[in-house]
Amino acid sequence: MSAKVLLIDDDQDFRASVRSLLEGHGYEVLEAASGHEGLRMIVEHKPDAVLVDIMMETSVEGYGVTHALKYLDEYAEYRQIPVLMVSSIEESPDERFPMSPEAEMIRPDRYLTKPLDIPKFLEVLERSVGVSKRASS
Amino acid sequence: MGEAAAPETVVVIDDDYAMRLSCCKILSKMGFRVEAFEDGTRGLEGVGRLKPGLIVVDLKMPGISGIEVISRVHEIDPQITIVVITGYATIDTAVEAMKCGAYDFLPKPFSPDELRLIVNRGLERRRLSLESQQCEIERALLKRRFVTFVSHQLRTPLVAIHQYLDVLKHLGDTADVAAKREEWIDRCLKRAEELQSLIADWLTLARVEGGTLMKERIKVDLSQLLPGILKTYEEMAAAEGVSLQVALPEAPLCVGGDWNCLTVLFDNLITNGIKYNRPGGKVTVAGWLSEGEVVVTVADTGVGIPEKYRPFLFDEFFRIKDDGAKKTTGTGLGLHISKRIVSEMGGSLDLESEPGVGSTFRVRVPAWHEADSAITGSSE
Repeated sequence: MSAKVLLIDDDQDFRASVRSLLEGHGYEVLEAASGHEGLRMIVEHKPDAVLVDIMMETSVEGYGVTHALKYLDEYAEYRQIPVLMVSSIEESPDERFPMSPEAEMIRPDRYLTKPLDIPKFLEVLERSVGVSKRASS
Repeated sequence: MGEAAAPETVVVIDDDYAMRLSCCKILSKMGFRVEAFEDGTRGLEGVGRLKPGLIVVDLKMPGISGIEVISRVHEIDPQITIVVITGYATIDTAVEAMKCGAYDFLPKPFSPDELRLIVNRGLERRRLSLESQQCEIERALLKRRFVTFVSHQLRTPLVAIHQYLDVLKHLGDTADVAAKREEWIDRCLKRAEELQSLIADWLTLARVEGGTLMKERIKVDLSQLLPGILKTYEEMAAAEGVSLQVALPEAPLCVGGDWNCLTVLFDNLITNGIKYNRPGGKVTVAGWLSEGEVVVTVADTGVGIPEKYRPFLFDEFFRIKDDGAKKTTGTGLGLHISKRIVSEMGGSLDLESEPGVGSTFRVRVPAWHEADSAITGSSE
């Protein structure tokens, strides 16, 4: 069975290109245009990995998704789902938000810059999904 | 801090018992929390602990001098207002105290009214200075956020294009890619256009803000300018199924402004009217002279603008994001720029809107007076 990846990004073109890339590599792809919709789809489809843009138009939705998955009780059963954060801003969140609790939730290998470096992205995703699948089985 | 109800604290430092007592009495009656100390050492300890807004200090005391107290207090908090009391009205020491950072001085003997006045004035100055400091901090923060936001706005379309190209290259000549290539190229072009107009708008905005856009103020006849602008949008309007109508007087409708600015202004209003319309709808541009002002309205028959969005409509980067709103590609700068241009011309830009019926933008600018050309030295 192919792994399911959820793309949460408000840019339809970014989603379209990444969808084709991932489908070309055998992934099943789901899309959400907002953090809110993304969380709903996580509950509904339980993806194997989530790719979320940090700076969607409505402020910091990306962090909202990560925060909900890692800390909120109602999402406890989805806590193992790896979250890959992406942003067009070329600093790691540890530098941007050195004091914020959000920074510590993100391991460096899970923070990717847009446009995605395709080989690196595929490698990180594959590793994340592998870990996720082992943890759930 | 932050509790409006908390009384301001005033510290009195004076070695004269009678002076401490009377100052405390007067200041307490004014509603302040007052504490008095008999020498500089105790006084400084008190200032560190109480964080007063203002201190009244005698210049001539045994132990630490008043002058030294001033500089030590400002080491604790430079925002504390210091009023010095000088015995024998020695102007020289008072001047020295002011040089060291005291706000004002009270020569002995002084009346209760004089003390009240100087304390109130001192605290008022402190309040203003704290407020302006706060404004400075907020402005810096806003600027930093603005830069982050703008760079994100500029990067978003660029990233979309870049990612399409990367993926096209990566996937190579598969059937799946071949089917998508055309569509993706079209999307890339659209996003490149978006980036172009964002940069153009941003530059226009920077020029408006720098005051360089409106440098030229010449006589412009809107009865001639507007039909010309409308003509350039006929194709766009036809594509959206919107008709363009114009109601302008035969006589000239002259204003003093910059041709390019006025074009940017009406470009923005007319394209908005077309974009936020419905198939079969219309955009009507009307103009007339009214009591020394030229009024131009640009009316659409679109969905209208809900009341809750109206206060933000002219803000930078504001775009209405409603579930019902169709996907539009505006930069969120058009109306902001338009408002700035109209303001520069000494006019106003207002909106009337009824949901479901349409929106009307109304430009009012002073009509051109022949005398204006004499002042600027330029005419047609």
